[in-house]
Amino acid sequence: MQRIGVVGFICGLIVSAIFGAMAAAYGLAGFLEKTLVEKLGIQGGAGIGNMLILMLVFVMVIATLLTLAERKWSALMQDRIGPNRARINLPGLRDQSLAGLPHIATDVIKMLTKEDFQPKAANKFLFNLAPMLAFAPAFALFAIVPAGPTLPVLGYQVQMSVANPDFGLLYIFAIASLAVYGTSLAGWASNNKFALLGGVRASSQMISYEVALGLSLVGMMLAFSTVQLAGPTGMSELQGGYLWRFTEVGGFDVGIPAWGFLLQPLGFVLFFAASFAETKRAPFDVPEGESEIIGYFVEYSGMKFGLFMIAEFVEVVVLAGVIVAIFFGGYYLPFGNEWLKAQTVFVEQPWLLGAVFGTVFWVKVVLLCYVQLAIRWTFPRFRYDQIQTLGWKILLPVGLLNVFVTGAVILWALPEGAATLPAAALIPFLQPLAIVGLVEIAVVVALTLTPREGAESAHADGHGHGHTDTHAPAPSHGATPVASSH
Amino acid sequence: MSAEFVLFWVFAIATAMSALGVIVTKNPIASAMSLVATFFFLAGIYVLLWAHTVAVLQVMVYAGAIMVLFLFVIMLLSLGEDTSMTKFSPTRIIGGVATAGLLAALVLAFRKLPEASTGWAASVDQLKAFGTLSQLGDVLYKQWLFPFEAVSLLLLVAIVGAVVVAKPRI
Repeated sequence: MQRIGVVGFICGLIVSAIFGAMAAAYGLAGFLEKTLVEKLGIQGGAGIGNMLILMLVFVMVIATLLTLAERKWSALMQDRIGPNRARINLPGLRDQSLAGLPHIATDVIKMLTKEDFQPKAANKFLFNLAPMLAFAPAFALFAIVPAGPTLPVLGYQVQMSVANPDFGLLYIFAIASLAVYGTSLAGWASNNKFALLGGVRASSQMISYEVALGLSLVGMMLAFSTVQLAGPTGMSELQGGYLWRFTEVGGFDVGIPAWGFLLQPLGFVLFFAASFAETKRAPFDVPEGESEIIGYFVEYSGMKFGLFMIAEFVEVVVLAGVIVAIFFGGYYLPFGNEWLKAQTVFVEQPWLLGAVFGTVFWVKVVLLCYVQLAIRWTFPRFRYDQIQTLGWKILLPVGLLNVFVTGAVILWALPEGAATLPAAALIPFLQPLAIVGLVEIAVVVALTLTPREGAESAHADGHGHGHTDTHAPAPSHGATPVASSH
Repeated sequence: MSAEFVLFWVFAIATAMSALGVIVTKNPIASAMSLVATFFFLAGIYVLLWAHTVAVLQVMVYAGAIMVLFLFVIMLLSLGEDTSMTKFSPTRIIGGVATAGLLAALVLAFRKLPEASTGWAASVDQLKAFGTLSQLGDVLYKQWLFPFEAVSLLLLVAIVGAVVVAKPRI
């Protein structure tokens, strides 16, 4: 009982920290916008504030905490305790492991003070460039993801994304496709055969999955007839609407929201799989392949290796943010959004509303990060040919089929003169698409629940009681070599 | 001197330098990476020309897809530094003459360009709308639909052709 209280208290603390930071984000963005417009006559100050708070604070802090979270969660799944040895030498804290939090500091100190080793025959320039090229695209991806609605602050309309270009998702495809240079150059410049193998594997894998990645989002672009994420007609904003609106209870609006995963469940699964492959984490971790080739970063040490590692975690956060913005309603709750917007306190203080919605966004992001970590530690690795088969023979045809089905349903469902109507007015017309989506979900659930032929014997073999013991320590498995030592 | 002017010279000089790097560096990987840098700086110039959609497509298609394949092939063949770069051969001489001829033709063409060529856009709003994705889609799918589809058919033919050629060896 006491433990539940502690967990509840910590969760509350985290949520209120997010709330405070989002309120500060709106305040800073509004202040910068106002200052720049009035002093220099330039618009876009809000973007600078968002860059500071959303990207440098939120993304980096969550990514840093994920390094610990991954080790703790993996330990939980493998029936271990996980990192708990680092302590703070202060009275009262000597006997507290603080959930392993001091390990983050020790990791940083370790990486910054390690010898920065360079192989003699390595190409110096490219060897040093590769970690930056791996980190920068992953980090820059977040620029177009909105963490909150556009609201008036200090008399100026403030958007909660760094930028909102009209080509929207194309930016994500363009920047995501550059991530491969870091890994493949790291593999090549190290002048190590294992590293080269890792780099070649990484580039072939990422080229294969980029096609499916692009195709998987075409359905969402068709459904909302936009490629933008932020802004008044962006995907995140449109997902605040309702497909079916039920009767309102005391002004509190309830209904089935127009969230992307209801309209495009297949698109969501395809995008999740393809982008998971792009992050190069297990089950798609052949570029790293610890048990066979160690990976493209085998020759890197110290903070250069740290950059590769943190880039991976930044990718996890960014991927969660993109998925939330496209498929899970962005910063909106599944119900009661209009009721919230109509409250007098939020009408008078719009930044408070923004902070509430921003908190919703980041909570969703953290939950999706957890899902990704859970997938990484529960799924067995794919073999190399399985990865290529999945990419080219399953994801690509299914993605093409999804585009055609979605296009046909939308063409049939939309009324005459749909192009002249505002995008928000078209959401109720997407009901047939949502029905198709719900049928798809039902089929997937039914297929999952149906026992396969011969599943009984496999069950007896694969999940015997002694089996879990042999797998429990899993000493060599982890993106973080430090993780295995605990 | 406007900010646009400064940016143009930054991008222009960087484009020229990195393009030079493609042919000057002996290492094939460094050469390919110079080409990637060239595409990037060229994308910057597209943005200055109000064509930001073309710029992002340039990064996506050329820097993000085609050059990755180049890099992949170079790494797979693991080409070393080729010392024959300095030798003269008939193809090299023909290539040099052709390049010089192309440069001369371009210079002559540019000298005949009319001075004020910004008359195509009546207002700033028109300029802003010019490079947007919706404008590009409008032109591509209404005005130039047939050439667009014909080109996509050409790509399909190329893929099928590649499979047919490689089939006996797979």
